[in-house]
Amino acid sequence: MVELIIDGQKVEVEEGATILEAADKLNIAIPTLCYHENLTPFGACRVCTVEVVVDGVSSLTTACNCPVEQGMEVRTVSERALEARMLAVELLLAKCPGSEAIRSLARDMGIEEPRVELETEGCILCGLCVRTCQELVGVGALRLVDRGLDRDVKETFVEASTDKCIGCGSCAYICPTSFIKLEETGDTRTVWDRVFKLKKCQVCGNYWAPEAQLEYIRKTCNLPSDFFDVCPNCK
Amino acid sequence: METLALYVPRLLEKKENFAPGHRACSGCGEALAVRMVMKALGKNVIVVMATGCMEIISTQLPYTSWEVPWIHTLFENTAAVASGVVAGREALTRKGKASSRTKVVAMAGDGATADIGVQALSGALERGHDFTYICFDNEAYMNTGIQRSSATPFGAATTTQPVGKISMGQNTWKKDMPAIAVAHNIPYVATASPSYPFDLMNKVKKARDIEGPAYLHILSVCPTGWRTPSDLSVRIGRLAVETGVFPLYEVENGKYTLNIDPPQLRSVEDYLKLQGRFKHLTPEMIKEIQEKVEAKYAELVEKVLFYDGF
Repeated sequence: MVELIIDGQKVEVEEGATILEAADKLNIAIPTLCYHENLTPFGACRVCTVEVVVDGVSSLTTACNCPVEQGMEVRTVSERALEARMLAVELLLAKCPGSEAIRSLARDMGIEEPRVELETEGCILCGLCVRTCQELVGVGALRLVDRGLDRDVKETFVEASTDKCIGCGSCAYICPTSFIKLEETGDTRTVWDRVFKLKKCQVCGNYWAPEAQLEYIRKTCNLPSDFFDVCPNCK
Repeated sequence: METLALYVPRLLEKKENFAPGHRACSGCGEALAVRMVMKALGKNVIVVMATGCMEIISTQLPYTSWEVPWIHTLFENTAAVASGVVAGREALTRKGKASSRTKVVAMAGDGATADIGVQALSGALERGHDFTYICFDNEAYMNTGIQRSSATPFGAATTTQPVGKISMGQNTWKKDMPAIAVAHNIPYVATASPSYPFDLMNKVKKARDIEGPAYLHILSVCPTGWRTPSDLSVRIGRLAVETGVFPLYEVENGKYTLNIDPPQLRSVEDYLKLQGRFKHLTPEMIKEIQEKVEAKYAELVEKVLFYDGF
């Protein structure tokens, strides 16, 4: 067990836990955006920035992926931490002024309008979609390409035409800026500009999941070919 | 949204704010609904709960299932206590000791909402407090032994409207509580069912974030009172939607949206025949119910289309 101090309160957590988890134990809320408890922390958005003092030296770090250390002192609402956090949110807001997730973060911090020029790009490169596709779905159809200013999110099937995407829609669900669009009309679903045919249930006639996704599950779990002819509702 | 349900559920919050180990009957649709509601609400919430099944099963001293601040109230004053909590929160916010990010949620059963607590609810909705009211509707006073409430549907056998020579179960139609809430011109009213978890959680999040009062009506299948097998709760909840008995819709500032719109409604018999409380129904009564359900559904569709026209 490791003992540390967060905002003047002592807390004991297991070794390897992050600052964010330790703060959660104390019911101290640190805002996050690119963090998701079921995914590996990424530290891309800098919204969870906190001030950490180790051996008298103070530095800024992201709470979501920084492991705790014995005797560490964390300040979540110090002037320095708040300033860094506000700047991060302000820049995110400038990049994506239409996102409700970012707007509510900004509102909570008292930011109305960013001081810099607005862009309408939509993607903030938080990496949530890439991590979801890789870790939760296990497909790995998305990846981040390049570094620094040129960084971009790409589907591998566009780049290398490996046809990995199964159209499950998890990326569209998790995207905090609604940059990834998912549309369903009748028997088709469109995501990443690719059209997926939906499977029709043989009993109720409802379209319930993309055929590519069901095929992927069927192969992974070694299920009989008629396993998905009927939707879970009618089974 | 519901067609996303194969990988997306893995992205839901794992932490339970309504802890397991409570004493609900097996197959309780209401406990399932509360669990999903608490997942969607998050930690920063104060729950005000009326007397009822959920209060009884989850708070046996010295145990509690609630991981958030929780207040027990009487049947009649849930909404009044919630308005008091909101007023207190606002006073403390002015002093800088609390934040309006802490949400106040009132939870009550159908008896505490449609019968006993309706005046307090009406008052709180009319005054426009910033809170969410969630009614878990299991269609009778299940906690005290299945007595009829005004939310009990026509024909259902209860212990106070038993089936025999004189009575054929409930002889009145179910009170349309969401419509009463809509009539208060509040920003958000919705119906939900734990059989459609994504729809339910989205609506809870929406209701929580909206400024002003929000009303949510959740149909909770009760195996004990409805005389249904406890493994069929989720299916019966789905059948209620697919047959049009309990359509899932939301009303945002007067604008109606139908969330689950099956291409064709199933016959209400599919829903009724699974439940012991309806097993005495004659074909004529089923026909009467079918007609009423279709008429109500058509009325709802008309409202949806009316607002689509703008």
